[in-house]
Amino acid sequence: MMHFPNRRAILGAASAITLLALTACGNVSGGGSDSSKYPNGPVNLTVGQAPGGSTDLIARAISEGAAKTLGAPMPVVNKPGANGALASKEVAGKPADGQNLLLINASLITITPLAVTQDEAVNIDDFDIITGLSQDDYVLVASEKSGFKSIKDVTSAGRNVTYGTTGVGTGSQLAQTVLFKQANVKGTDVPFDSGKPALTAVLGNQVELATIQLGEAMPQIEAGKVSPLLVFSEERNSFLPDTPTAKESGYDVPVAQYRAVAAPKGTPQEVKDKLLAAIQDTLKSDAYKEFNKKNMLTPKEISGAEVVTQWKDYAAKYKALVEKYSISLAGNK
Amino acid sequence: MDFLNPVINGFAVVLEPMNLLYCLIGVVIGMLIGVLPGLGPAATIAILLPLTYNVEPVTAIIMLAGIFYGAQYGGTITSVLLRLPGEASSVVTVFDGYQMAKQGRAGTALGLASIGSFVGGTAAIIGLTFLAPIVASFALDFGPAEYTALALLGILLVATISSGSKTKALIAAALGLLLATVGRDIFTGENRFTFGSLELADGIDFVPIAMGIFGLGEILYNLEERHRAAKAPSAVANVWPSRGDLKQASGAIGRGSVLGFFLGILPGGGATIASMASYAMEKKRAKQPERFGKGAPEGVAGPETANNAAATSSFIPLLTLGIPANATMALMFGALLIQGVTPGPQLVEQDPGLFWGVVNSMYIGNILLLIMSLPLVGIFVKILRVRAAILAPITALITLLGAYTINNSMFDVTLVVVFGIVGYLMKKFGFEPGPLVLAFVLGSLLESSLRRALLVFGGDPLGFFSRPISATLLIVFVLVAALPGIRSGLAKRKATIPADTAATEIKEKV
Repeated sequence: MMHFPNRRAILGAASAITLLALTACGNVSGGGSDSSKYPNGPVNLTVGQAPGGSTDLIARAISEGAAKTLGAPMPVVNKPGANGALASKEVAGKPADGQNLLLINASLITITPLAVTQDEAVNIDDFDIITGLSQDDYVLVASEKSGFKSIKDVTSAGRNVTYGTTGVGTGSQLAQTVLFKQANVKGTDVPFDSGKPALTAVLGNQVELATIQLGEAMPQIEAGKVSPLLVFSEERNSFLPDTPTAKESGYDVPVAQYRAVAAPKGTPQEVKDKLLAAIQDTLKSDAYKEFNKKNMLTPKEISGAEVVTQWKDYAAKYKALVEKYSISLAGNK
Repeated sequence: MDFLNPVINGFAVVLEPMNLLYCLIGVVIGMLIGVLPGLGPAATIAILLPLTYNVEPVTAIIMLAGIFYGAQYGGTITSVLLRLPGEASSVVTVFDGYQMAKQGRAGTALGLASIGSFVGGTAAIIGLTFLAPIVASFALDFGPAEYTALALLGILLVATISSGSKTKALIAAALGLLLATVGRDIFTGENRFTFGSLELADGIDFVPIAMGIFGLGEILYNLEERHRAAKAPSAVANVWPSRGDLKQASGAIGRGSVLGFFLGILPGGGATIASMASYAMEKKRAKQPERFGKGAPEGVAGPETANNAAATSSFIPLLTLGIPANATMALMFGALLIQGVTPGPQLVEQDPGLFWGVVNSMYIGNILLLIMSLPLVGIFVKILRVRAAILAPITALITLLGAYTINNSMFDVTLVVVFGIVGYLMKKFGFEPGPLVLAFVLGSLLESSLRRALLVFGGDPLGFFSRPISATLLIVFVLVAALPGIRSGLAKRKATIPADTAATEIKEKV
């Protein structure tokens, strides 16, 4: 019996501390309706992917520079889940005061809706896009043992070809399924969890082909362990100038990953201008340019309005493509 | 000796001040929780997982590894001095260790245990150093088919070898497999058991499960235990064992190293089983088995060597194949995943700094433990007096705060609470949580690899037998599955073997 009050007191104190901490946090992110005082406390940059991936790295590169210009800390908050849909829905529901931003992937708007149900799909109209950032290209690589050195080798092989993708509802899957249909080649789609295991499977000859992001594939391309057959961008990639595009080879399947900074819909113009200026300062810095080069990212620093039109165009194009070839991205049943 | 270059570079990684500091922190925490009965290394690592989030991967794993093998040292101290095993792997040390302490030879017992632990740990690291590159050279041959076979074998071994009831272990493993199916089907995009929740779309995260079942579950379960006042420990003097004692124990230390090394590699094996097997073996080999239980030095040295060797060698399947051999290794697996490192055959080649840094940190950690363990005995004994009523709320609070910080998600906190209750109920009704957590980790690997392999084979299950590694693994799987049947058949013919009686005897005492 002697222990009882003791235990309670501690529990009470502990929960009081927790409550205090929680309310303190609430104050920091809650205020700030007066846009002239922007930024009012830290500006959270939410990322829908786990730390360490390319989206996360870009967010960190942006926040590092922009925080200095804004004069407020810009912590990167990782909230992975459902391809980034979880983070998007959360940020879209935050007050439109510029204190909560999202680093958004194009595939979430253009490709994922083709694979998931209507209510899981993210709508770009729920956001004000501040600025476009960069383009991350997909490259189709072939294993050594497959003997494929060009896309011609694949189309003339006259047999079933196995190809790895980085998962269901990704650009990697869309690009390859459409390519195979257009080239009239039979293929088996083998989904992996992300780019790394797909690349490993090509290296180990478990699958013959895979489409992954250039930054991930480059070390193995340079080492001659995998052969690049084509890139899916509209123009040749400056880091891989000798590899033809899908378009040059006669296939209409332009796929790349684009990224942009977004704020909840209805953010005041003044706030958006301040944010844009701060981010543009970063984009101009040598450190950021070096970062892009190191990660094989092609700058695509277009305006928010352009981002919206382009992404909507891609979404419509992909929808038409999968309908035309009656592809179901969720179709491995 | 080209392959030794990365090994040497690994030492450069360990000797970075930050890594040395975390190694020290890890082994001290490890020893501490080793002393405290109840809170084991698995629970501690589960609770501390979020703290490692902001440090370099290699630093994080060095610290967590330190907690793991440090706990083996700490558990010994209370076994010998207080007859209170801090860890399951030190239970058998009580039999002879406490008797030695009563005879005024506590120092000798602790000294022997420390030396044995050091030798066992070091022997296992050397084994790891030479075995890892061999396994890694097969790295690219490991495709979906091989992973399927490996995951199958792993789940089977975990469920059959683990101590306690086999049926209950299988039930727990089945539950783990079921939990692994929650989330979006990665092959079709179909949602499974998500009930429309976006939070569940990617499945249940491993970390909240581990933190709930191992962390919170353990804390809740320990609250049930009546608080025992710590007895005054036996005096410790004369730590260095005499030449005669050493001579008597050296055979046990040698055998314990080898036995522990192999039992640690085995999925489902690990420190606890290694220590019990070593005790049984020493007793069986002894010329006067009646000395055991009355303060035989071999009864301390053997098990203590074996549990440390096993703790170290259980890193081999994790770091080289990406297959955790026991619950603690499953947590290491989770820690690596949080850091964006996928353990597997590619690890040695892709990230030699991390691999050899962690492996070599174990040398340093073992030396630190050897130096510290004896002077700190007095402090550790004092810690035993901290009441559970104070310790439990603090650890519970740290656990929940930690759970929130990983994904900044209240949903994760709810998961930890739910799995904490599950873990508590499992312990209460005699289900080991280990098989559940392992089956959960291996379940998604099994499912995705199986489906991937079948896609590659064009739907032909015989494809598994067309590849040498997967065929071998599957044959081993069948053998292990059939073994209990064969054994009971043999047992009917033969009279009971003395080794068996020794083993059951130990189990009863546990």
